[in-house]
Amino acid sequence: MRVDGEWLHCVDGGIRPVVRGEVLGGDGQWHELLLLVDTGADRTVLSAGEFRQGQFVPVETDRRISGVGGLVESVAVDTQLRLKRSDGQQVLFRGQFAACTDPDALDMSILGRDILDMFALLIDRRADLIAILGGQHRCTIQQGPS
Amino acid sequence: MVIQLKSTEDRWPPIEMVEVTDPNEIAEAQRRREQFDRNSDWLQSHFDDVYTPENRGKIVCIAGREAFVGEDVLEVVARARAAHPDDDGYFTMRLARDKKVIVYAS
Repeated sequence: MRVDGEWLHCVDGGIRPVVRGEVLGGDGQWHELLLLVDTGADRTVLSAGEFRQGQFVPVETDRRISGVGGLVESVAVDTQLRLKRSDGQQVLFRGQFAACTDPDALDMSILGRDILDMFALLIDRRADLIAILGGQHRCTIQQGPS
Repeated sequence: MVIQLKSTEDRWPPIEMVEVTDPNEIAEAQRRREQFDRNSDWLQSHFDDVYTPENRGKIVCIAGREAFVGEDVLEVVARARAAHPDDDGYFTMRLARDKKVIVYAS
Protein backbone atom coordinates (compact mmCIF):
# COMPACT_ATOMS: atom_id res chain seq x y z
CA MET A 1 0.00 0.00 0.00
CA ARG A 2 1.27 3.42 -0.87
CA VAL A 3 -0.22 6.83 -0.14
CA ASP A 4 1.49 9.78 -1.76
CA GLY A 5 1.67 13.18 -0.16
CA GLU A 6 3.21 16.36 -1.41
CA TRP A 7 5.33 19.31 -0.41
CA LEU A 8 2.69 21.98 -0.24
CA HIS A 9 3.44 25.64 -0.75
CA CYS A 10 1.37 27.10 2.06
CA VAL A 11 -0.23 30.51 1.90
CA ASP A 12 2.15 31.91 4.51
CA GLY A 13 5.14 31.02 2.36
CA GLY A 14 6.11 27.82 4.15
CA ILE A 15 6.64 24.57 2.24
CA ARG A 16 5.35 21.68 4.31
CA PRO A 17 4.74 17.91 3.96
CA VAL A 18 1.03 17.17 3.64
CA VAL A 19 -1.35 14.48 2.49
CA ARG A 20 -4.80 15.07 1.13
CA GLY A 21 -7.58 13.15 2.81
CA GLU A 22 -11.13 13.33 4.01
CA VAL A 23 -12.84 13.09 7.35
CA LEU A 24 -16.36 11.92 8.11
CA GLY A 25 -18.16 14.72 9.91
CA GLY A 26 -20.79 14.46 12.58
CA ASP A 27 -23.14 15.65 9.84
CA GLY A 28 -22.57 12.39 7.95
CA GLN A 29 -20.72 14.15 5.14
CA TRP A 30 -17.15 13.55 4.01
CA HIS A 31 -15.05 16.71 4.22
CA GLU A 32 -11.87 17.14 2.24
CA LEU A 33 -8.87 18.30 4.22
CA LEU A 34 -5.13 18.76 4.15
CA LEU A 35 -3.15 16.97 6.86
CA LEU A 36 0.30 18.04 7.92
CA VAL A 37 2.53 14.94 8.13
CA ASP A 38 4.01 15.30 11.61
CA THR A 39 6.20 12.58 13.07
CA GLY A 40 6.53 14.64 16.26
CA ALA A 41 2.82 14.47 17.00
CA ASP A 42 1.63 11.61 19.22
CA ARG A 43 -1.84 11.80 17.77
CA THR A 44 -3.76 12.92 14.72
CA VAL A 45 -5.45 16.23 15.52
CA LEU A 46 -8.22 18.03 13.69
CA SER A 47 -7.96 21.79 13.59
CA ALA A 48 -10.65 23.86 15.28
CA GLY A 49 -11.95 24.82 11.84
CA GLU A 50 -12.38 21.19 10.80
CA PHE A 51 -13.98 20.39 14.14
CA ARG A 52 -16.54 23.14 13.74
CA GLN A 53 -17.11 22.54 10.03
CA GLY A 54 -17.65 18.81 10.61
CA GLN A 55 -20.16 19.50 13.37
CA PHE A 56 -18.66 16.75 15.49
CA VAL A 57 -20.12 15.72 18.80
CA PRO A 58 -17.26 15.20 21.25
CA VAL A 59 -17.12 11.91 23.12
CA GLU A 60 -14.88 13.49 25.73
CA THR A 61 -14.31 17.13 26.43
CA ASP A 62 -11.53 17.16 29.00
CA ARG A 63 -8.61 16.30 26.76
CA ARG A 64 -5.65 18.60 26.50
CA ILE A 65 -2.75 18.47 24.10
CA SER A 66 0.53 20.27 24.38
CA GLY A 67 2.90 21.73 21.88
CA VAL A 68 5.66 24.27 21.98
CA GLY A 69 3.24 26.98 23.04
CA GLY A 70 1.86 25.04 25.98
CA LEU A 71 -1.39 23.28 26.69
CA VAL A 72 -4.30 23.56 24.27
CA GLU A 73 -7.90 22.68 24.97
CA SER A 74 -9.14 19.84 22.83
CA VAL A 75 -11.82 17.20 22.67
CA ALA A 76 -11.99 13.61 21.47
CA VAL A 77 -14.23 12.67 18.57
CA ASP A 78 -15.21 9.30 17.14
CA THR A 79 -14.78 9.51 13.39
CA GLN A 80 -13.13 8.13 10.28
CA LEU A 81 -10.33 9.43 8.11
CA ARG A 82 -9.75 8.25 4.56
CA LEU A 83 -6.66 8.48 2.41
CA LYS A 84 -6.35 7.69 -1.26
CA ARG A 85 -3.85 5.00 -2.19
CA SER A 86 -1.65 5.33 -5.23
CA ASP A 87 -3.57 2.48 -6.91
CA GLY A 88 -6.80 4.48 -6.65
CA GLN A 89 -8.23 2.48 -3.75
CA GLN A 90 -9.04 3.98 -0.38
CA VAL A 91 -7.78 3.18 3.09
CA LEU A 92 -9.88 4.14 6.07
CA PHE A 93 -8.86 4.79 9.68
CA ARG A 94 -11.54 4.48 12.30
CA GLY A 95 -11.29 5.48 15.92
CA GLN A 96 -11.00 8.33 18.34
CA PHE A 97 -9.14 11.46 17.25
CA ALA A 98 -8.29 14.68 19.00
CA ALA A 99 -9.73 17.97 17.79
CA CYS A 100 -8.59 21.42 18.83
CA THR A 101 -11.20 23.84 20.01
CA ASP A 102 -8.94 26.88 19.97
CA PRO A 103 -8.89 28.44 16.47
CA ASP A 104 -5.47 29.94 17.11
CA ALA A 105 -3.84 26.61 18.00
CA LEU A 106 -3.54 25.01 14.55
CA ASP A 107 -3.78 26.40 11.04
CA MET A 108 -3.95 22.90 9.58
CA SER A 109 -5.00 19.45 10.81
CA ILE A 110 -2.22 17.01 11.68
CA LEU A 111 -1.55 13.42 10.73
CA GLY A 112 0.22 12.02 13.78
CA ARG A 113 1.88 8.81 14.87
CA ASP A 114 -1.33 7.04 15.88
CA ILE A 115 -1.67 6.49 12.12
CA LEU A 116 1.89 6.99 10.87
CA ASP A 117 3.29 4.27 13.16
CA MET A 118 1.41 1.67 11.10
CA PHE A 119 3.60 2.47 8.10
CA ALA A 120 7.01 3.29 6.78
CA LEU A 121 7.26 6.97 5.97
CA LEU A 122 9.42 8.67 3.39
CA ILE A 123 9.86 12.43 3.66
CA ASP A 124 12.41 13.66 1.16
CA ARG A 125 12.43 17.33 0.29
CA ARG A 126 15.28 17.01 -2.19
CA ALA A 127 13.44 14.34 -4.16
CA ASP A 128 10.09 16.15 -3.77
CA LEU A 129 8.70 12.98 -2.19
CA ILE A 130 6.22 12.17 0.56
CA ALA A 131 5.20 8.51 0.65
CA ILE A 132 3.41 6.43 3.27
CA LEU A 133 4.22 2.77 2.69
CA GLY A 134 2.55 -0.36 4.03
CA GLY A 135 1.72 -3.91 3.01
CA GLN A 136 4.03 -5.15 0.28
CA HIS A 137 5.70 -1.80 -0.32
CA ARG A 138 9.23 -1.42 0.97
CA CYS A 139 11.96 1.15 0.68
CA THR A 140 15.67 0.61 0.32
CA ILE A 141 18.56 2.98 0.89
CA GLN A 142 21.25 2.97 -1.73
CA GLN A 143 24.53 4.78 -1.92
CA GLY A 144 24.73 6.76 -5.13
CA PRO A 145 27.81 7.29 -7.26
CA SER A 146 30.40 9.44 -5.56
CA MET B 1 5.32 19.78 15.52
CA VAL B 2 5.43 18.05 18.84
CA ILE B 3 2.03 17.18 20.16
CA GLN B 4 1.82 15.32 23.41
CA LEU B 5 -1.31 14.16 25.07
CA LYS B 6 -1.63 15.22 28.64
CA SER B 7 -4.14 12.52 29.41
CA THR B 8 -2.99 8.95 29.86
CA GLU B 9 -2.39 7.15 26.59
CA ASP B 10 -4.70 4.26 27.47
CA ARG B 11 -7.65 6.62 27.29
CA TRP B 12 -7.18 6.57 23.53
CA PRO B 13 -8.35 3.35 21.94
CA PRO B 14 -6.24 2.10 19.02
CA ILE B 15 -6.99 3.28 15.53
CA GLU B 16 -8.42 0.62 13.23
CA MET B 17 -7.35 0.48 9.60
CA VAL B 18 -9.78 -0.83 6.98
CA GLU B 19 -9.52 -1.08 3.22
CA VAL B 20 -12.49 0.42 1.42
CA THR B 21 -13.86 -2.11 -1.04
CA ASP B 22 -17.26 -0.70 -2.02
CA PRO B 23 -16.81 0.45 -5.66
CA ASN B 24 -19.56 3.06 -5.35
CA GLU B 25 -17.91 4.54 -2.28
CA ILE B 26 -14.54 4.58 -4.01
CA ALA B 27 -16.00 6.24 -7.11
CA GLU B 28 -17.72 8.88 -5.01
CA ALA B 29 -14.51 9.57 -3.08
CA GLN B 30 -12.60 9.81 -6.35
CA ARG B 31 -15.09 12.36 -7.68
CA ARG B 32 -14.70 14.51 -4.57
CA ARG B 33 -10.92 14.11 -4.70
CA GLU B 34 -10.72 15.36 -8.28
CA GLN B 35 -12.69 18.45 -7.30
CA PHE B 36 -10.53 18.87 -4.21
CA ASP B 37 -7.37 18.62 -6.29
CA ARG B 38 -8.64 21.29 -8.66
CA ASN B 39 -9.43 23.61 -5.75
CA SER B 40 -6.12 22.94 -4.01
CA ASP B 41 -4.17 23.48 -7.22
CA TRP B 42 -6.05 26.72 -7.78
CA LEU B 43 -5.04 27.96 -4.33
CA GLN B 44 -1.43 27.05 -5.02
CA SER B 45 -1.42 29.48 -7.91
CA HIS B 46 -3.41 32.25 -6.20
CA PHE B 47 -1.62 32.73 -2.88
CA ASP B 48 -1.10 36.41 -3.39
CA ASP B 49 -4.77 36.99 -4.10
CA VAL B 50 -5.88 35.09 -0.98
CA TYR B 51 -3.17 35.70 1.62
CA THR B 52 -3.63 39.44 1.77
CA PRO B 53 -3.02 41.45 4.94
CA GLU B 54 -6.75 41.92 5.49
CA ASN B 55 -7.42 38.18 5.18
CA ARG B 56 -4.80 37.01 7.64
CA GLY B 57 -6.23 35.24 10.68
CA LYS B 58 -9.48 34.53 8.83
CA ILE B 59 -10.99 31.34 7.40
CA VAL B 60 -10.89 30.65 3.68
CA CYS B 61 -13.03 28.13 1.83
CA ILE B 62 -11.98 27.19 -1.68
CA ALA B 63 -14.82 25.96 -3.87
CA GLY B 64 -15.24 26.07 -7.62
CA ARG B 65 -11.72 27.45 -7.87
CA GLU B 66 -12.82 30.53 -5.98
CA ALA B 67 -11.92 31.79 -2.50
CA PHE B 68 -14.49 32.74 0.12
CA VAL B 69 -13.10 34.45 3.20
CA GLY B 70 -14.71 35.23 6.53
CA GLU B 71 -14.50 34.96 10.29
CA ASP B 72 -16.70 31.91 10.81
CA VAL B 73 -16.10 28.60 9.09
CA LEU B 74 -19.77 27.64 8.83
CA GLU B 75 -20.73 30.98 7.35
CA VAL B 76 -17.86 30.83 4.85
CA VAL B 77 -18.71 27.28 3.81
CA ALA B 78 -22.38 28.22 3.42
CA ARG B 79 -21.47 31.03 1.03
CA ALA B 80 -19.11 28.79 -0.92
CA ARG B 81 -21.69 25.99 -1.16
CA ALA B 82 -24.38 28.42 -2.29
CA ALA B 83 -22.11 29.67 -5.07
CA HIS B 84 -20.88 26.20 -6.10
CA PRO B 85 -23.46 23.62 -5.00
CA ASP B 86 -22.03 20.92 -7.28
CA ASP B 87 -18.53 21.18 -5.89
CA ASP B 88 -18.11 18.64 -3.08
CA GLY B 89 -14.33 19.05 -3.17
CA TYR B 90 -14.35 22.30 -1.25
CA PHE B 91 -12.03 22.70 1.69
CA THR B 92 -11.26 25.23 4.37
CA MET B 93 -8.18 26.45 6.11
CA ARG B 94 -7.22 29.20 8.47
CA LEU B 95 -4.98 31.83 6.98
CA ALA B 96 -2.03 32.26 9.32
CA ARG B 97 -1.97 35.59 11.09
CA ASP B 98 1.73 36.01 10.45
CA LYS B 99 4.46 34.55 8.34
CA LYS B 100 6.34 32.60 10.96
CA VAL B 101 8.41 29.56 11.58
CA ILE B 102 6.07 26.81 12.77
CA VAL B 103 7.41 24.09 15.02
CA TYR B 104 4.30 24.10 16.33
CA ALA B 105 1.74 25.51 17.55
CA SER B 106 -0.58 26.86 20.21
